[in-house]
Amino acid sequence: MGADSEEKRVGVFICHCGLNIAAVVDVKKVAEWVRKLPHVVFVRENIYTCSETGQAQIYQDIKEHKLNRVVVASCSPRMHEPTFQKVLEKAGLNPFLFEMANIREQCSWVHERDKESATLKAFDLIRASVSKVVRDEPVEKIRQEVKKEALVIGGGVAGMNAALLLANAGIKTHLVEKDPSIGGHMAMLDKTFPTLDCSICILGPKMVEVGKHPNINLITYAEVIDVEGEVGNFRVKVRKKPRYVDVDKCVACGDCAEKCPVKLPDEFNRGMTIRKAIYIQLPQAVPAAYLIEEEHCLRLKTLKKGGKEVCGLCLKACERDAINFDDKEEIIELNVGAVIIATGFEIYDPSQEPKYGYRRFPNVVTQLDFERILNADGPTKGELRRPSDNKPIKSIAFIQCVGSRNEREKGAGRYCSRVCCMITAKQAFMIKEHEPDVEVYVYYIDMRTAGKGFEEFYQRGRKEGITFLRGKPGKIEEDPETHNLILVAEDMDTGVLLENEVDMVVLATGLRPPQGLVELAQKFHLSRSEDGFLMEAHPKLRPAETPIDGVYLAGCVQFPKDIPDSVAQAGNAAANALGLLSKDYIEMTPLHPVIDLEKCIGCSLCEINCPYKAIRVVKTEKGKKAEVIEIACKGCGVCGASCPEGAIEMKYYSDKGIEAMIDALLEKKEVEV
Amino acid sequence: MANESWKPSIIGFMCNWCSYAGADLAGTSRIQYSPEIRIIRVLCSGRVDPKWIIKAFLKGADGVIVLGCHFGDCHYITGNYQAEKKIKATQEILEMAGLEKERLYLDWVSAAEGMRFAKLVDQFTDKIRKLGPLKLDDEKRKKLTAALLTVSNDKVRWVVGREFSIIKDGNAFGEKLAPYEFHEQVKSIIKDNLKKSLIMAVLKSGPKTVREIASELRESESEILKQLVDLMRLDKVEMGEVKDRNPLFALKGE
Repeated sequence: MGADSEEKRVGVFICHCGLNIAAVVDVKKVAEWVRKLPHVVFVRENIYTCSETGQAQIYQDIKEHKLNRVVVASCSPRMHEPTFQKVLEKAGLNPFLFEMANIREQCSWVHERDKESATLKAFDLIRASVSKVVRDEPVEKIRQEVKKEALVIGGGVAGMNAALLLANAGIKTHLVEKDPSIGGHMAMLDKTFPTLDCSICILGPKMVEVGKHPNINLITYAEVIDVEGEVGNFRVKVRKKPRYVDVDKCVACGDCAEKCPVKLPDEFNRGMTIRKAIYIQLPQAVPAAYLIEEEHCLRLKTLKKGGKEVCGLCLKACERDAINFDDKEEIIELNVGAVIIATGFEIYDPSQEPKYGYRRFPNVVTQLDFERILNADGPTKGELRRPSDNKPIKSIAFIQCVGSRNEREKGAGRYCSRVCCMITAKQAFMIKEHEPDVEVYVYYIDMRTAGKGFEEFYQRGRKEGITFLRGKPGKIEEDPETHNLILVAEDMDTGVLLENEVDMVVLATGLRPPQGLVELAQKFHLSRSEDGFLMEAHPKLRPAETPIDGVYLAGCVQFPKDIPDSVAQAGNAAANALGLLSKDYIEMTPLHPVIDLEKCIGCSLCEINCPYKAIRVVKTEKGKKAEVIEIACKGCGVCGASCPEGAIEMKYYSDKGIEAMIDALLEKKEVEV
Repeated sequence: MANESWKPSIIGFMCNWCSYAGADLAGTSRIQYSPEIRIIRVLCSGRVDPKWIIKAFLKGADGVIVLGCHFGDCHYITGNYQAEKKIKATQEILEMAGLEKERLYLDWVSAAEGMRFAKLVDQFTDKIRKLGPLKLDDEKRKKLTAALLTVSNDKVRWVVGREFSIIKDGNAFGEKLAPYEFHEQVKSIIKDNLKKSLIMAVLKSGPKTVREIASELRESESEILKQLVDLMRLDKVEMGEVKDRNPLFALKGE
């Protein structure tokens, strides 16, 4: 028996909610009017409908009066809709043959002084609900099998931690990293604040653990190129670039690089040292293997142009036969139930603001550059020497908020990047530790040191003799002979204009969304916040989830944060992913669209506008037609509201249902108060 | 002009996640506001079909208010941007048809803005009170019928539905258009369509000559003829018998 042919028997339950409703709305009168509405076969007033007895009453009345539709007029559906839907389910009715009329939050509580209008309004709202409920149709649950594997994108400290948590819980986890080695920005840091742990010493063992974990499939030098599917069943294509070195054979002895004639700036040391075309990203790289950079290798370049097999010095130098010039790009197809995005950040490029002279003046560096200068593996082997002439540094200035808290500069962020103040405090402290006599100046707007042990650390730095000046230099000038830098700034505390000549300047550069994040976000249909980072599902309660089910965020890809916060968010993301992956199936009742294939012309407007990739146009025997991926649909209804052909009808929030409500609300009333 | 006992009929479309929750918050905070509004809950402001709005006016609504999430807050990522395009276009259609576009209002209310919700509803109710009842006479009914035909038209729905994505991501050739530039195109398509819809609305009462249509719509005869030729090409209108040496035009199939 179809839903249309069956007799509609609507039961209406009107709640007094103690006096919350009854003190304003004349419930008795409303009940009388409601009794006369078409299809209404039963009306009950309750003092508290949501109470145990109230719920039991509904159950009994459904059975006793053979109700097949239910309207509850009480509080907001945002409050008790699930409560009553469960009662319907228990009584054997589909939970979507149900409507709520909000006569408390949106009636009695807001029209306390106009009882007559409130009573009429309550009736209108119930009448509209009755009108809709007789047009409601059952919505069936659908099941999606959960693929019990996970993908983590980004192998920095956040991604590594997320991957380890998942892998330790027994989940097969794929970790995709764009660089040849995992480690991310943290591997480039010398020390971490405020404890001054050696960064690579705490990160290195984690990197090794990730590399060796039986449940982790590490895919480095790779990027995600395509994403299909939805929660529980993502199908992801990953492009793995050729390394031309067999990772399993290479023992990272470095004989090849010694022979390689091509010299290039070493990115890991921020261009302050030289590497070869065959190189290892960092000494502690995982996988611990060299690779050949295609675009710079003489042999690969000539081969590409159709030339001969030239050079080959590395080939001769490698005793283990690890070099393979026939290596090819690989497309790896993954099928996972959950995805964690941890692609981190990039450093703001201060050369966008010529006033700082970055890249023009060799002794102006960023915090990350300076991190390498401080590091024992860095260009100066950890000695405080400046880039222009390798002379020991006697005085140094830090400039805060470069590229952060800046509304004027294109590419800069309006937001505070959170970590730069503490990085400066740390680096200034490290300088004092290396050479106590070095003069250290910090030009700042505000020092922001919120965090466990942060303020204490900052105060310690002040006691060490670091000079903090409130005021940002408008410009940096270089003495062309000495390469010293001259800063002029107003000290906001005293109003005095200060001129200062220093050996070196460190710019406290902000954190920016990484390159390619826009494209990645589009692949997963994720939205970005105004600042360009990925947006979380809820800023307070769901900080590691995204509006897309099954896709989670960890680390700076959501917003700049320090290492402990990144690790904490990675834990949250992993826990959420585990919750999902612990299920064999997920059940949902998507209020999805239904396509009228006779009307659909396959124009693909719905596909273009769907924020969830839940609708797509496919070729069928009758031409191009839209197809709904129910499991991915969130029910927003944008497709339905814009379909040029009127071929889309939504479940529950249907055109006929809503239009029936409009009619009922505007109908002339035949009641008298 | 409005009599004492007249109370405006106002339909409000609220999205489940922001404005409806904001309305609930007004309730829990006991913020009092004008009782005329009747709220219909939808999941997203982007779900609100312009057809519903025009139909509400045709059924006797004096005002329609749509409230969604603030930009960037939409639960469905971009639904409110879609809503903005649709409601704006609907307002323009009302205006082009010679109706008061102020009777349709769109704004944003977050789940935390109970006070703002109440204020917006009060302001809108006041505005409608000042405008007075819509008074559905034949003239207005005809205009609204034309507006309904326009918001139901596939071409209009396509361009309005496509506006947001084209401005954001560019067209099929990767060209990005300035928002105002594209919107001018949207408007011209709407305008052209509304003219046709008005002619169709006029012809609903029976076959008419070009002159009769032109005088009823206060348009030039040449413009009407141009549109009629288009409508015949679209198979919506046909030329029928001749009256006083002037051909009569009629809706096809009626």
